[in-house]
Amino acid sequence: MLQVKNLSKIYGLGDVQVKALDDVSFTIADGDMICIMGKSGSGKSTLLRQLGLLDRPSEGAIILDDEDVTRLSDTARGILRLQHLGYVFQEYALLAELTAHENVYLPGMMLGEKGIDFRKRAKELLELVGLSKRIRHYPKELSGGEQQRVAIARALINNPRIIFADEPCANLDTISSKRVMETLVSLNKEMKVTVIFVSHDPEDKKYARGLLVLSDGKMVAEE
Amino acid sequence: MKSLKVAAFLALKSIVRGNVGVIVLTVFMLVLVTMNLLFVPGLINGATVSMNTILIRNYSGDIIIEPAGDDTVINHVDDLIAGIETIDGVVAASARNDINAYFEFEDERLGRVITGIDPNRDKQVFDIAGSLVEGSYLNSRDRDEVLLGIQIAGADQEDIELYSSSLRHVHAGDKLKVTYSSGLEKQYAVKGIFDTGFIQTDLQAFITDLEFESVMPNMNDKAGSIRVKLEDDADPNRVIERISGLRDDLDFQTWQQTAGLVQSMTESFTMINQILNVVNYLVAGITVFIVTYVDVINRRRQIGIQRAIGIKSQSITISYLMRALFYAIVGLIVGILVFKYVIIPVEARHPFEFPFGPAYLLTQPSYTARMASILLTVSLAAAFIPVWRVMRIKILDAIWG
Repeated sequence: MLQVKNLSKIYGLGDVQVKALDDVSFTIADGDMICIMGKSGSGKSTLLRQLGLLDRPSEGAIILDDEDVTRLSDTARGILRLQHLGYVFQEYALLAELTAHENVYLPGMMLGEKGIDFRKRAKELLELVGLSKRIRHYPKELSGGEQQRVAIARALINNPRIIFADEPCANLDTISSKRVMETLVSLNKEMKVTVIFVSHDPEDKKYARGLLVLSDGKMVAEE
Repeated sequence: MKSLKVAAFLALKSIVRGNVGVIVLTVFMLVLVTMNLLFVPGLINGATVSMNTILIRNYSGDIIIEPAGDDTVINHVDDLIAGIETIDGVVAASARNDINAYFEFEDERLGRVITGIDPNRDKQVFDIAGSLVEGSYLNSRDRDEVLLGIQIAGADQEDIELYSSSLRHVHAGDKLKVTYSSGLEKQYAVKGIFDTGFIQTDLQAFITDLEFESVMPNMNDKAGSIRVKLEDDADPNRVIERISGLRDDLDFQTWQQTAGLVQSMTESFTMINQILNVVNYLVAGITVFIVTYVDVINRRRQIGIQRAIGIKSQSITISYLMRALFYAIVGLIVGILVFKYVIIPVEARHPFEFPFGPAYLLTQPSYTARMASILLTVSLAAAFIPVWRVMRIKILDAIWG
């Protein structure tokens, strides 16, 4: 279970302070599929980065399974990201010098769990996202949608409990967007992975079972 | 272990799939630095050995024996030399007697020292007989004949260092007048002229000990000094100890103690070498720093992504250090191989000519090992700084600037 309590993020721009998140609180149950929506600048990506432990909030707490992970050291947060969290960036964020297969198994190699053949698992995950024939291709040889699905497979390599996806379809055409979203839905249903994704497209609400709406850093609706 | 494995994986991929031009250029720079780090000390080392060798073989011998205390001569020289030559490590010994004299030829007159030698013995200690440019070497029975260094004779070679203060036009077969400090005047035929390349030697003149005894009749079985040649691996101090056991009225000097000029040149060379080495290490460090700096700036976003997906900072840092090591190791290996199999053989065919003779590049494995370890350390330190700076940037700033 993921609990967020009174979360605020303040950016300092000289003497001016901008409140990107303002006293946001909510709870997400394991296995849920949540969409965070809001207009541009509403704070939805900022919220996802706090939840994904890529940034530190100014105030409030993020509690993962009764443990406050907000104040953990950078090293501990890194280990937590590696072991339990998967992050899918808006701009694919693949490593250019690695093939699709290598991109997927790299975090598995880092975790290095005994008895797990991370190379084999990476192949299986690429099959799962429909890219079994593209495993030796480099990111520049893949379409945007394919790259995003490689990124999803990479996020899954260490069997994460939660996947965070930051506008995963923002740079994709309609067909690719649909495929990526269906992949996330299928992972949520079949692998019971909690998925929290950000979108500005109201159409994407249909993929989620819960909705958080942000406006000017404040949570204005929760369904 | 996992961090190292991931670091090695990232380093390998970035080398294999990185920009070939950048890798080749970086390695090329380090090859040049390596060759430069080997060349200058190799030349200085070669020049020093060449200087020392020429000093020993043409001027001092390995050990110089002189009379102790107020004595001006060593007595019973023949017995002493016979005793010295029985000592292990001694190749030969030669007695020498010096006397001041004036040389006159045509309008030129100059004062120098004439040395009386037993030509057969002296030839076993010194290489002067092999440096003749005119005429021939002395024989034991020669009288009224003199052997001249090129810096005394001149021999019409205007390019020699001391030509203007030489007799200028003397050649083998010419006759010149010698006035000894005792007032005795003699005519000598020039039997030969030698040019060893070592000025102090080339300012010497030799007559046979037979002739010397006619000039200084009281010098039979006496010598001003004895020069001893040792085998290459002989310990001079141990030989001196053994000779001291034969007689207690002798003073000893090793060749190093007579090599003041050579030593000061060697020290200056060493100083120049150290300064050049510091510059070379700086060039190597700056090269690796710039390459790594440009690389991490270009890959800042990629590094941010790696950290975001859980790759440990230490793995990323080590991967960059491995790359720097790769550049340095390849640069070192190629540089050392090119130096050993191309530069040294080419230089050996066309050696650098110094006033004391040719100098051949000479490297010592201990120096090469020390140079390699310093270069690797410098490369690692130079690569670490830019990576460490990028690792301090927040993940989000690294990814999105």
